[in-house]
Amino acid sequence: MRLVKLLLAVLLSIILILLDTRFSYLDNFKRFTLTLLSPIYIIVDFPSQVIDWVNDKGADNENLISENDYLKGQLIELKARLQTYNNLALENQKISALLDSSYEIPNHNVLLARVKSISQSRLSNKIVIDKGSNDGLALSQLVVASSGVVGQVMQVTPLFATVRLISDPTQFMPVKNSRNGIRGITKGIASNEKGMIVEYVPLDSDVKVGDLYLTSGIGNSYPSGYLLGRVTSIDNSLDPSFLSITLQPSQNMDQLEMVLIIKGKND
Amino acid sequence: MTNSNHLALLVKISIIALITCAISLPSFLEVASPFWLLPFFSYWVIYSNGKNIYTAAFILGILLDIIEGGTLGQNASALVLSSAFILNVKKSFFVSNLTTQQVYIFLGSIIYLIIFLLVHQLTQDLNFKWLLLLSPFTSAILWPLIRYLLAKLKQ
Repeated sequence: MRLVKLLLAVLLSIILILLDTRFSYLDNFKRFTLTLLSPIYIIVDFPSQVIDWVNDKGADNENLISENDYLKGQLIELKARLQTYNNLALENQKISALLDSSYEIPNHNVLLARVKSISQSRLSNKIVIDKGSNDGLALSQLVVASSGVVGQVMQVTPLFATVRLISDPTQFMPVKNSRNGIRGITKGIASNEKGMIVEYVPLDSDVKVGDLYLTSGIGNSYPSGYLLGRVTSIDNSLDPSFLSITLQPSQNMDQLEMVLIIKGKND
Repeated sequence: MTNSNHLALLVKISIIALITCAISLPSFLEVASPFWLLPFFSYWVIYSNGKNIYTAAFILGILLDIIEGGTLGQNASALVLSSAFILNVKKSFFVSNLTTQQVYIFLGSIIYLIIFLLVHQLTQDLNFKWLLLLSPFTSAILWPLIRYLLAKLKQ
């Protein structure tokens, strides 16, 4: 009888594995159960919330003033840079109008979120953020930080969301070379947590070390034009048809505190 | 212990185990850390006469799969099969010293690791890290501490 129970449990597990990998019937069940389990994240996050609160209360006035001065300086610098960007955007609009092009510089609606934890699984690279479906988050939205793309929203509950990092071996993202528009698809490298490869770039393509790769927006899954990384090496001996291009992500994932979720275009 | 007491202990152990699993550690520690659910669940299998062990293992594994965002059934199958091993050595667990118990937990963790990696290989590309091989050792090393803390909880 015990053996029958064991076989039944194993059989059920195998059926679930097949259903989950091949179909999406169980997505609603997973979302519902994760919502029920969300108090676990609140408990896990509680000590760091207390530490943050104590740090905030304990920060002395002098430190806050100097940090404030530094941030004001940064704001002025960014505003100055933005003026150049605005001029370029205007210039681009005029040229687009002259060429009768339908291309527009996207103006996306974004949401700021704080990183609660980094990775809760030993075989995948993920972060948990403190915004969820109550804040308008949805599956598949792109997540970026100050230096580039961070990943994609893969699980959403009302209070928090999980983001799969671009360095995860199961995260695929359509990209293009910023210099010549050559397209490919990135994925993480299992043996190197901080590296990515670009797949499906033909052997005779013009790609150089130092080239930048951006999201291409192909398939409308992600908005285009966000920086992913820089080419660190190119190898043409691994595959008879395609180049093996290694990227260094532009965003350092170890120093993530705040991220932006790209929710969609502003009307 | 009555049936409701067995169930209450299982619920307490499960909550603690799932919270422990959800705590984020530095990258290398995360990979080498024990499969927390296994030693916690093993304690319940050994020190309580609870029934429906495989059903409990299956449900707990599913909950962990959902928390980790992994393939549904990955941790469930690993926990079911490794708890079958623990159940087989249950009688000798009581008469064994701590070191022998650690060996049993180590072997159970190896079964867990093999199933876990096998499912990962079949469903996604295997994302193998050598540090993963340390997890059965860390499970065995931490077993005395887990046993002590859960014994306190049981009281």
